[in-house]
Amino acid sequence: MKIDTALQVPLITLVGPPNSGKTTLFNLLSGKNYKTVNYPGSTVEYYTSRILPKYNIQAELLDSPGIVSLLPESIDEKVAVDSLYSHPTLGAPDLVITTIDSCQLSRHLLLPIQLVSSGFNVIIVLTMTDILAKRDLKVSENRLSKSLNCDVVAINGRTKQGVDNLIKLINSNLERIKTAEKKNILPHSLIENKTNLLDTFKEIEEIVNDVYEPIKVDKINLKTANNELKVLQDGSASNGFTPDEITIKIDRVLLHRFWGFLVFLLVMGLTFTSIFWIAQPLMNFVDELFTNLNSLVLENFEPGWLTFLISDGIISGTGSVLVFVPQILILFLILGLLEDSGYLARGAMLIDKPLSKIGLNGRSFVPMLSGFACAIPAMIAARTIPNRKERLFTIFIIPLMSCSARLPVYALLIAYLIPKDNAWLGGFLLGGIYFLSTISSIVVAWIINKFSKRIFSDEGSSSFILELPSYKIPKINAVINHTYNSSKQYILRAGPMILGFSLVLWFLTFFPNINPQVEKEGLTTEQIQNLERAERLEHSFASDLGKIIQPFMTPIGMDWRIGVSLISAFAAREVFVSSLALTFKVTSEDDEEQSTLLNSLTTAKIGATGEKLFTVATSIGLIVFFIFALQCLSTVAVSRKETGGWKIPILQVFIFTGLAYFMTFLTVNGLRFFGVQ
Amino acid sequence: MRTAAELNYREKGIISEIDYSHPSSKRIMEHGFTPGQTIELICKSTFNDPIAISIRGTLIAIRKSEAGCIKLK
Ligand SMILES: Nc1nc2c(ncn2[C@@H]2O[C@H](COP(=O)(O)OP(=O)(O)OP(=O)(O)O)[C@@H](O)[C@H]2O)c(=O)[nH]1
Ligand SMILES: [Mg+2]
Repeated sequence: MKIDTALQVPLITLVGPPNSGKTTLFNLLSGKNYKTVNYPGSTVEYYTSRILPKYNIQAELLDSPGIVSLLPESIDEKVAVDSLYSHPTLGAPDLVITTIDSCQLSRHLLLPIQLVSSGFNVIIVLTMTDILAKRDLKVSENRLSKSLNCDVVAINGRTKQGVDNLIKLINSNLERIKTAEKKNILPHSLIENKTNLLDTFKEIEEIVNDVYEPIKVDKINLKTANNELKVLQDGSASNGFTPDEITIKIDRVLLHRFWGFLVFLLVMGLTFTSIFWIAQPLMNFVDELFTNLNSLVLENFEPGWLTFLISDGIISGTGSVLVFVPQILILFLILGLLEDSGYLARGAMLIDKPLSKIGLNGRSFVPMLSGFACAIPAMIAARTIPNRKERLFTIFIIPLMSCSARLPVYALLIAYLIPKDNAWLGGFLLGGIYFLSTISSIVVAWIINKFSKRIFSDEGSSSFILELPSYKIPKINAVINHTYNSSKQYILRAGPMILGFSLVLWFLTFFPNINPQVEKEGLTTEQIQNLERAERLEHSFASDLGKIIQPFMTPIGMDWRIGVSLISAFAAREVFVSSLALTFKVTSEDDEEQSTLLNSLTTAKIGATGEKLFTVATSIGLIVFFIFALQCLSTVAVSRKETGGWKIPILQVFIFTGLAYFMTFLTVNGLRFFGVQ
Repeated sequence: MRTAAELNYREKGIISEIDYSHPSSKRIMEHGFTPGQTIELICKSTFNDPIAISIRGTLIAIRKSEAGCIKLK
């Protein structure tokens, strides 16, 4: 384990106010690729790494969630403060690096002052110096260092400027600490009370008045800089800047009293419809690739169980899921751009009021939005919600957000329902599904909120205080990097699972009746093959299993083959499409040998009655099922961990899956009642 | 006495004191709302709540019920 190595080298802990650039610096020093987002509260868990060899420092670096002060209020803040005082495996840090936004000294200096007075060895890193430079100002590292009695260094996290100085400082500090005797660290709760909070801020105001200075001697700039300085030094007015002017101008529109909410809805709508629009051409390309690969195999090998295993089991299985990688890529890309722009905090503010009506919080917005990518990080992101009940409730409803694993299912069924050349309609339909899933989660949340006192014990007051960061142009390569990594993880996580399940399912549909006996007289080879396939499946293990679930599937207009696929979707939703591909290719009565999955769905019939299986009603019914059902074991596990008990995850599984079945029943039979087959 | 919750659109005010009895008062102070600071209401959300206040050069979104404990001169 990590302990052995960690004990031998010094531990350097990064702490700092939210959104001050900790993770950016961590990535810079460790060469890692953790997510950096222009939203206060993007990191919610600590992680460690060695510093890159090129910097020549033997030390373990720890990144932590943002904290405003040393007295934590939410779980993510507690993670950070605990990593300073009582980390379970790593112990207390030898050196603390605290990042401070140099444009916000008058707020951000609170934390370093608390750290120094508690007895930590502190290096202050001033970030965002490039933004400060746009105002022709800089911070005097010397003077700040003298007044705070610790080392100070300025860096630009985006261009790496100043990192060399930081490395020198880390080295000299580590040297000093080695020889010095260990200082006593006082828990901050002992020193802090409300009046000395005020004293600390007085101290900060004096320091801030002293440390800003103009950069250039250029005359025109000097004038503007001096004006800014005057504002600064005019103690009575405001000890700090006015907020970024461009940000205020943008907010005049984006947070407009009337337009603000419409813009919000538009932004969200465009985000989800564009997934389909942009991804469609890419999807067609991947689809063709795999269809061709499949026919290549069928043409070049003798028909036999091995050929079927490769073509039906492996190629169609993997292909049917890889087709959807472009969509997932684009989902991550668009969300990434949105996150790094700074808009998320505005979204949280705009939606705080409506969400608080149903027992949630504006801070639930970001976890819920990331729930559209994956429920697992989303549940962990809920740690930023200080109120316990609101946090548990947010975790509770996150599985109702349609995660990216459901995209393949939606995309397949949309493609089935809508002619291929009508991509814009598909985009709207997908947007509609997301809209519906959002609306239904609101309704469900509203209903559950009525019973919430029984589920989550109510305690503490609700609060919403959130910094609105300045807008930034998204850092494109960071976003692309992150998109690449999440998509890679998606494939690595889903890939083996899909392959494994494809093999199991293939086995279940192929055995025990390997050599079925059929009447061959007067039939072409192809017809014989199809007959054999049908006969084989009829007496397969899968069909035995299917007969057990058939009674549950008939009321919702489906048959056991979909049922088997739905069950396999409990391992991971992505598996649904590949198992559909498998069971339906096997039973397909299509004459063309290498029929696509869509074709096999069109011709599929319900065994007993011979009716068409995938009608408009059942397809919509299936979409509805996936909107509600909780079919992801990892989500259940994370829910258990984050809520600290089995109660919430078990309720989630039963309520959401029951609801899915019920809603599908209503949809299919409702549609049929109104004449839609 | 007026509070930050009663500020009009684009109106400035100077903080006189923070109501310590409010459960969020400590967090509000940690964000930099201390007596003597000038604040300005920059934006209101569509539903009039929360409001965005500029303090020490930063925009902070805060619910009206919490802004109510920021007393103005
Ligand atoms: N212009 C500029 N932007 C920076 C700098 N450092 C970080 N950023 C940006 O600031 C935003 C926040 O950076 P993060 O590294 O995620 O901040 P953090 O402190 O880890 O934030 P939390 O985890 O939420 O506490 C991102 O959009 C970064 O790209 C810098 O020196 N200059
Ligand atoms: Mg971070």
